[in-house]
Amino acid sequence: MNILTIPLRTMRKKWLKTSLLFTVFTLSVVAIVSLNYVSREVGHSLEKKLTAFGANILVTPRSEKLTVSYGGFSLGDMLMGMTDLREADVEERILSIGYRDRISVVAPKLVSMARVGDVAVGVVGVRFEREKVLKGYWSMQGDFPAAENGVLAGSKAAARLGLKVGDGFDLAGRPAVVSGVLDPTGSDDDSVIFADLGFAQAAFGQEDKVSFVEVAALCAGCPIEDIVRQLEEKLPDTEIQAMQSIVKQRMYSVHFVEHLILTVSLVILFIACCMVGATMLSSVNERIREIGLLRSLGFSRSGIFGVFCFEAALIGLAAGVVGYFGGFFLSVKVLDLLGMAQEAEAAMHAGHLLLTCALIVGVSVLAAFFPSWKAASIEPSTALISL
Amino acid sequence: MLEAKDITKTFTSEGVATPALRGVSLTVGAGEFVSIVGRSGSGKTTFLNVLSTLLAPDGGEVLYGGENVTAFSPERLNRLRNRDFAVVFQFHYLLPYLTARENVLLPFMTGLGRVGSRERARAEDCLERVGLAGKGGKLPGHLSGGEQQRVAIARALVKDSKILFADEPTGNLDKTTGESVMSLLTDLKRDGLSIVMVTHDESYARRADRVVRMADGLVAGDA
Repeated sequence: MNILTIPLRTMRKKWLKTSLLFTVFTLSVVAIVSLNYVSREVGHSLEKKLTAFGANILVTPRSEKLTVSYGGFSLGDMLMGMTDLREADVEERILSIGYRDRISVVAPKLVSMARVGDVAVGVVGVRFEREKVLKGYWSMQGDFPAAENGVLAGSKAAARLGLKVGDGFDLAGRPAVVSGVLDPTGSDDDSVIFADLGFAQAAFGQEDKVSFVEVAALCAGCPIEDIVRQLEEKLPDTEIQAMQSIVKQRMYSVHFVEHLILTVSLVILFIACCMVGATMLSSVNERIREIGLLRSLGFSRSGIFGVFCFEAALIGLAAGVVGYFGGFFLSVKVLDLLGMAQEAEAAMHAGHLLLTCALIVGVSVLAAFFPSWKAASIEPSTALISL
Repeated sequence: MLEAKDITKTFTSEGVATPALRGVSLTVGAGEFVSIVGRSGSGKTTFLNVLSTLLAPDGGEVLYGGENVTAFSPERLNRLRNRDFAVVFQFHYLLPYLTARENVLLPFMTGLGRVGSRERARAEDCLERVGLAGKGGKLPGHLSGGEQQRVAIARALVKDSKILFADEPTGNLDKTTGESVMSLLTDLKRDGLSIVMVTHDESYARRADRVVRMADGLVAGDA
């Protein structure tokens, strides 16, 4: 028995009030923990889905651009010292960086020109299975090519060349079949023909070469600049460009969800704190005689302060432990309902539990600070006069 | 042992000042039993609270062992209340969620140090002394009014206090129970404990060594 026996027995005696406070606080913790887990998973999932709306890093060969004119005759822009990108080598290097787990898609491309009949058209060699991920917004008549000589025609290119799904035509001396015609996208995609990269490399005599590589990186766990820096280290002869506007837009969407959840969590926590504070304040008013008695028996102000803070801390600790486990299991159920349980990476962690408990104990003690201070400030005489 | 010099105290409520003590002086010797009587509003309870350091006076001094306790630091006041002074109220003010024994042990529970077997034995002795041997495990709600007041007295004795301040200790008890409590106080006085008791019952007051009469915040008689 010591001074802590007093709050422990009080809580047992006033079990209904203690239970109610514990329940309210626990529900708050459950809500906050589950929201936290769910928001993180939703954020990750959202970012992965947003990857379907384009790459955010561009890898191009390093080159010098020179504008040449002589005697009033302009030769236009000339690229000097451009080194070729080798598909296998570039891919291997990209996937060897420290943040390789943040790389979602690597999409190499070979850009060439060809004549179909009398009409010149741009041909882009791509790996279709990766473009599917990167260009999730594409819609088309027909389907992605299944055969190596299958092509996708942009809407404008198809119109200019008079191509429709199922048409066969000669592309750089090789027979090709239109397996799909893209609906208008409003981008460069409308004006070109997409062919399989291997087909294009063979047709244009550019085996294993690519013009540039688009990379989609997930930036929730690290800044894009770090990924770019690591890519630059691995690919010294290339230029790496981060498409900041895409990254920012994407991260804005992800962070919006996270900030929304954080705001809701803070509101819940604030309400729970108000509950604890109000309950402790009413407890102080109810127990004013007890406080007066204890002070008359020689209990110090700090002792009385500690009695009330200890009560709040105990409730906070219990609510933190129960609320953490409850919140985790609730988040699993919610993710299951959202159909995200399979891909979710949420896992219970001792560090998270400790952090949650420490935070909740701290917040509950903070909420009980004023009532405890008020209790400690009561002079025995004041308590006695109120008797 | 305890001396009050020219104590004044005024309460102010809603801007209206009401003088409760207007220059009261009193000396209590070691082992002396002093009762304070007076009508309601005469200032006797206020005076007892000032003497027991539960209420700070506006003016005057309370000397204990020659030292002015009104100038003590909060820590020293706490020690004084815990070790030398003990108070018994009209209503026993036992903590309802602690057993009788635990209520008696309360003065030992002011810190994080655990109550030892010696203190527990001391509590049992005190309970036995007030006639409650074997009832230490009962909660206050399971004791009669007289027994509850005895537990409060046992609590006052457990630290071997030098002075017991009792504010209407029989005020809430029937005649028979009040009589037994008074007998207990008389026994304690006989054992050397100084007692200052506020009462409105003349018959109980006359059992003290001295009867101090108060009226309108002043000592009207001391015999």
